Amino acid sequence: MKAYFQNIFEAVRSILIGMKVTWRHLFTKPVTLQYPHEKLDYPERTRGMLFCKIEDCIGCLQCARACPVNCIYIDAPKAPKEVDLGVTSDGTKKRLYVTQFDIDMTLCCYCGLCTEPCPTECLIMTEAYEYTVYDRSDLLLRFAKKGVSY
Amino acid sequence: MLETADLLKEGIKEELKSDEMLLNMGPQHPSTHGVLRLVLRTDGEVVKEAVPHIGYLHRCFEKHAENVTYPQVIPYTDRMDYVGSMNNALGYVIAVEKLMGIKVPERAEYIRVIVAELNRIASHLLAFGTYGLDIGAFTPFMHAFRDREKILDLFEEASGARLLYNYPRIGGVAKDVPPGWLEKTRAFIDYFKPKIKEYNDLLTFNKIFIERTANVGVLPLDLAISYGVTGPNLRGSGMKWDLRRNDPYSIYDRFEFDIPVGTGEMGTVGDCWDRYWVRIREMGESIKIIRQALDQIPAGEVMAPEGLKAIKPPKGEVYVRTETPRGELGYYLISDGSQQPYRLKVRSPCFTAMSVFHEIARGGMIADMVAIVGSLDIVLGEIDR
Repeated sequence: MKAYFQNIFEAVRSILIGMKVTWRHLFTKPVTLQYPHEKLDYPERTRGMLFCKIEDCIGCLQCARACPVNCIYIDAPKAPKEVDLGVTSDGTKKRLYVTQFDIDMTLCCYCGLCTEPCPTECLIMTEAYEYTVYDRSDLLLRFAKKGVSY
Repeated sequence: MLETADLLKEGIKEELKSDEMLLNMGPQHPSTHGVLRLVLRTDGEVVKEAVPHIGYLHRCFEKHAENVTYPQVIPYTDRMDYVGSMNNALGYVIAVEKLMGIKVPERAEYIRVIVAELNRIASHLLAFGTYGLDIGAFTPFMHAFRDREKILDLFEEASGARLLYNYPRIGGVAKDVPPGWLEKTRAFIDYFKPKIKEYNDLLTFNKIFIERTANVGVLPLDLAISYGVTGPNLRGSGMKWDLRRNDPYSIYDRFEFDIPVGTGEMGTVGDCWDRYWVRIREMGESIKIIRQALDQIPAGEVMAPEGLKAIKPPKGEVYVRTETPRGELGYYLISDGSQQPYRLKVRSPCFTAMSVFHEIARGGMIADMVAIVGSLDIVLGEIDR
């Protein structure tokens, strides 16, 4: 009988201790954000959607080799000797036509390994994280434009 | 009524008596922490037999690892135990470094310890929050996730991702921590320390919570050892065994910290409450380690020169075990001298914790199953891999 009331007393007491914590938090600022209207600032290293500045790409295939899920498809035939493809923004001479530079973002695992070996730093991970699309094929990013040789 | 053949398929050994019933719990159940299916043979409210079915999250990790290069395995290790990714990758990179004989720069070692311990806190916070949720207390969950979010913010600043970091690399870490990160980490642990008392007020010493967890799912020490249970589950049964102390890897031998063990304060040694209480106290110990690491961290490089070249370990094999938030995670790595692992076997702490489940669940109530699964703190991503 005594243990029964002791139990009830203990339960009420410990609940009140817990409620004290809750009560204290009633007067603090909310920690949540009203998401679509307010957004967090993302740090510099955030790994979001991939982006390739195709003008700087030299078609070296290092990113495609580094990808653990093989979601980067590059086709880069060699340019003839007499054709001058120009240089990238950091001065590297381009020797290959980059006719295809596709990234399948549905396969991408956002590990960022592809961005590390890029010699001209043209492949980067942007801060973009909202990219819902209606069609799955819209997530196949085609960076090399048709009919334009880089 | 199920036929005997069907029962055998479900793992139930004997035929059902007329007043018994098979109950399916999972695979999609909020308290199974992933996709775990439990087949329970129940007599009224009492569970006579519990058979866990795993494999719903199998992604062929070990086979995948044989087909990618050494650095490419790291993103896959992140996806095993997705709430303790830093610790998973840490074990793997230490294995490869041991195979290649790489000396990791001091600063990288300290950064690794800091992020691994922060990740341990984050993982234990998730265990604490969702355990309350399983038992029926919603408020602690919000508190736990508020603080876990702060850790994830720190990780995002350092590595770029909130959950699957790919941060520890073979030979060091991916990048040095950004300027001001160490001060932010110190501010976080100063903020976090008093919060543990708050959690205790909210949940740990709540009478209803104690009634639900004390003397439930008792895991005796001899049973735990014979099944190879490790981590907080083993320590909850009263064994002082922590690889950070007993078989130090990285630079854990330089830090002072205690190893909390279950003492049966509220009931029997090795019950759900003991396992839970070990985790709460471990968060305090992690804070101690982080504080010491922040005091000692030197300046310098974060990547060994060998890590920047193509990773090509010599022929040989290595076994490395590390203490993740869930216990002893072992990597058995065989190299044939090429750029891809010949074989990578993972010894998962959650799998052993799950394999002891049918022993400690027998004779419990149906509602206790939720408490037991929660207290073992399993992550199905690691069991199935």
